[in-house]
Amino acid sequence: MNNNNCTEVDEYLESLWYINEKGQGAVSDICEHTVGGLSEDTHGGLSEEVIEKLVSDNLVEIDDSSKIIGLTPKGLERARHIVRAHRLAERLLYDVMGKNIEDGACEFEHIVTMELVDSICTLLGHPKECPHGLPIPSGKCCELSAKSVNSSVIHLDELDIGKYARIAYVNCPNDQLIHRLNGLSIRPGVTVKLHQSYPTFVIECEGMHIALDNELAENICVWRESEFAYDPKTPEIAVKRRFPFLRKRRK
Amino acid sequence: MGLLDEKTAPRLKDKERKVLILGLPNSGKTQIYNNLTGTYNLVANYHHTTIDVNRAYYEHGGVLYELYDMPGLYCLFANSEEELLVRNLIFSEEPDVLLFCLDANLLKQSLMLGIELMELGIPMVIALNAIDETSKKGIWIDTAMLSSTLGVPVVESIAIRGIGTRKLKSSIERAKAPKASIYYGDMIEAGLANVIHDLPEDFPFKRKTAMLLLLNDRFLEKDLIEAFGENQYAEIQKNLSGITSQFVGSIGKIVYYKRSEWVDQLSDKIVKTQDFDQRSMAKTFAQMSRNVVTGIPIFCMIILITYLLVVNVANEISTLMESYLWKPVMDKLSSMVPSQFWREFLLGSHGLLSLGLGGAILTVLPILSVFFVVFNVLEDMGYVPNLTVLTRRLFAKVGLSGYSIMPIVLGFGCKTMATFTTRTINSDKEKYIAIFLIAFALPCAPQIGLSMGMLGKVGFKAFLIVFSVLLITEITAGVLLNILMRDDTKNTYLQALPAIRIPNVFAVLKKTYYRLYMFLKEALPIFLLSAVFLFTLEKIGFLKIAKVFLAPLINNFLGLPNEMVDVLILVLARREAAAAVIMDFVNKGRLDFNQAIVSVTLTTMFVPCFANLGAMIKEIGLRRALTMAFFITASSLVIAGALNKVLLFFNHV
Ligand SMILES: [Zn+2]
Ligand SMILES: [Zn+2]
Ligand SMILES: [Zn+2]
Repeated sequence: MNNNNCTEVDEYLESLWYINEKGQGAVSDICEHTVGGLSEDTHGGLSEEVIEKLVSDNLVEIDDSSKIIGLTPKGLERARHIVRAHRLAERLLYDVMGKNIEDGACEFEHIVTMELVDSICTLLGHPKECPHGLPIPSGKCCELSAKSVNSSVIHLDELDIGKYARIAYVNCPNDQLIHRLNGLSIRPGVTVKLHQSYPTFVIECEGMHIALDNELAENICVWRESEFAYDPKTPEIAVKRRFPFLRKRRK
Repeated sequence: MGLLDEKTAPRLKDKERKVLILGLPNSGKTQIYNNLTGTYNLVANYHHTTIDVNRAYYEHGGVLYELYDMPGLYCLFANSEEELLVRNLIFSEEPDVLLFCLDANLLKQSLMLGIELMELGIPMVIALNAIDETSKKGIWIDTAMLSSTLGVPVVESIAIRGIGTRKLKSSIERAKAPKASIYYGDMIEAGLANVIHDLPEDFPFKRKTAMLLLLNDRFLEKDLIEAFGENQYAEIQKNLSGITSQFVGSIGKIVYYKRSEWVDQLSDKIVKTQDFDQRSMAKTFAQMSRNVVTGIPIFCMIILITYLLVVNVANEISTLMESYLWKPVMDKLSSMVPSQFWREFLLGSHGLLSLGLGGAILTVLPILSVFFVVFNVLEDMGYVPNLTVLTRRLFAKVGLSGYSIMPIVLGFGCKTMATFTTRTINSDKEKYIAIFLIAFALPCAPQIGLSMGMLGKVGFKAFLIVFSVLLITEITAGVLLNILMRDDTKNTYLQALPAIRIPNVFAVLKKTYYRLYMFLKEALPIFLLSAVFLFTLEKIGFLKIAKVFLAPLINNFLGLPNEMVDVLILVLARREAAAAVIMDFVNKGRLDFNQAIVSVTLTTMFVPCFANLGAMIKEIGLRRALTMAFFITASSLVIAGALNKVLLFFNHV
């Protein structure tokens, strides 16, 4: 098979994953899950050739009587990897390169290897969702070290007190919270200063002091200090701390 | 409530324009409202000062303006019933002008709300408030550029000092529909057009409603059903789920991405920043007050200073007034009134003047004056919300997370207002617990002041005992309620803290004056009436019977003298009146150390006051409010009785 066809297979698997995600069906008994409207919604019409390829590779199963297409465990694993790569790529393009959120990341997912995906995931601090708010399937790296030293992105609760950091992304635990966070200007790209962490986290964000609980602080991910370039809009960073002896010693 | 000038209102009725003041919480809305209308509403440097909507009229250039002072909000997407109230008012009242109060200190947060309001297409005027504070920070905002970009008049304003008021009035005349808008991208715009198509022809603010529907606003359902009926709503909902299912991911994230992009671009264009570090005293104090190591001592110091001021200064004022003002007048009066009955009516133990007027003016007023000065300083500084940072973990232990912290802390100011602010609480369980705790053993500002005054006469130890008992009671009640009402909905704690500022002497004095004025206006008639009531009860012999009947409870169980029946009756009318009598008893030595403690503890908890009960009924309904009130009254007796036994036990040891 040529490379182009491999890409097409991947796109199908990705589409099947999306459809499963939207439906309420459990991912485990995927074969029984109804998959409808595949031809219209996704990448062109169902090509017989690709379907045959999918079936022969044991990636999907087709129920002969009802014409239902479902992912096999093997296909599920492959789709999971593709979706993970896609969504991590979105995070990377959106957070790091400042690309428009509407531009796709589909070219990306077919190039990157499993190892590369894991290192991107680590670099980004194992994000839980893509910029669109869809869950990123977790990889081995995420389970091994939830808070790795190699991350460029750390959680707000790991930041040293008195330090500035730029928000990379926020893992929004519930949908209602997006509105409140945005009303307070807690969003990607904004520089925050951590004032205190006990008994309650207090940050300064766009001139406003905001108190938040630990759970939320953990869900706000920021760029590590070295990654954080000097920003003329926040002049206080350039000013030396007045009491250097009070400074918390860094490991 | 705002002053409604009914005399000028009808004259200009045909030339009337409706103006809504909107803005972030604490952005100076109420201040601007006061400046424009000349009425006075209490302004505090913390959120939720505007609970119900204030309304007043003013006249300018032959046109009558009807001004609404709205509660603060962060966005039009309703997170709580309070925010819903604001949104519904905007949607239903059809305002002619929106007066957007833009807090210059929080430019980006304000603009985030601003763009949502501008999307409504209602003519707008922007008051760029608190520019004195930003210019001190070295931040310069290009007002002309802001005005030309948005296409609406922008008026620089320092509301605290009344600067910009006149210009604001003339700008409201020239209010224009804003020209700023956001294109949300092909996908969302198509979705919006689709939803708009479903909405009835004459529906107001279709684009905004469509956007809120796409964002899945849970409060909209009720309104839409009300407006179109079940069937049509079901139709809308069906189409809507068809539209939203086409989206990949969260629409909210993309919408906010677009909005913040707009805000960032605008603020880059209009803000010039100077390069210097602003490290003010106020900022340092704010940080210290939130830190455990410094914050708790600061809190204790504040309590101690308040105590010392209330006990010493207020007592001094009270004594001076008594000996130089009250006594000479009363002596003269008593010699002028020949009849024994009338002398008793005016000056007896339940006399109209001695108990009613004297209680209010001699005993209660000095304490409240001193206490309100201290309290208003703290309020004006914005100290109170910073307390939530220290107390959050404690609150979490009693099942209160996030939203309920602020209402309860506000309860120390005024229980009635605090009960109304529980509207911001999303979970029913939390709301119920919060309302209960506010009504129960939480002393409100006048109560704290008066308790300090009463207990100060028997010593600081008594004060400590009473407030420890109240604290333990509250915690126990919270823990019990938390266990009884299992509910796993989790609320995130996310609280904006207002900047601490140096209190404005004039504002503090003005606020103290208004608080005292309101006290005299509301409470003095009740003081006088209850004196007459008690006098009558005594004359017809009811008090005697009640004392015999209640003797087992009051004498044996609570260890208090018979006269406490008067106090318990007075509590029902007005707590301050009861406090005046207790204070009188302490002065005359009729209550000892133990009895003073028991009676103050009892009266702090006993029966919620009428205003608070009214607020409770409004928030949780008559039946639940009355059950709560009954439970509170019963527990207060039990706790006071137990306290009596414990104190007696320690006396014997
Ligand atoms: Zn893709
Ligand atoms: Zn995505
Ligand atoms: Zn990972």
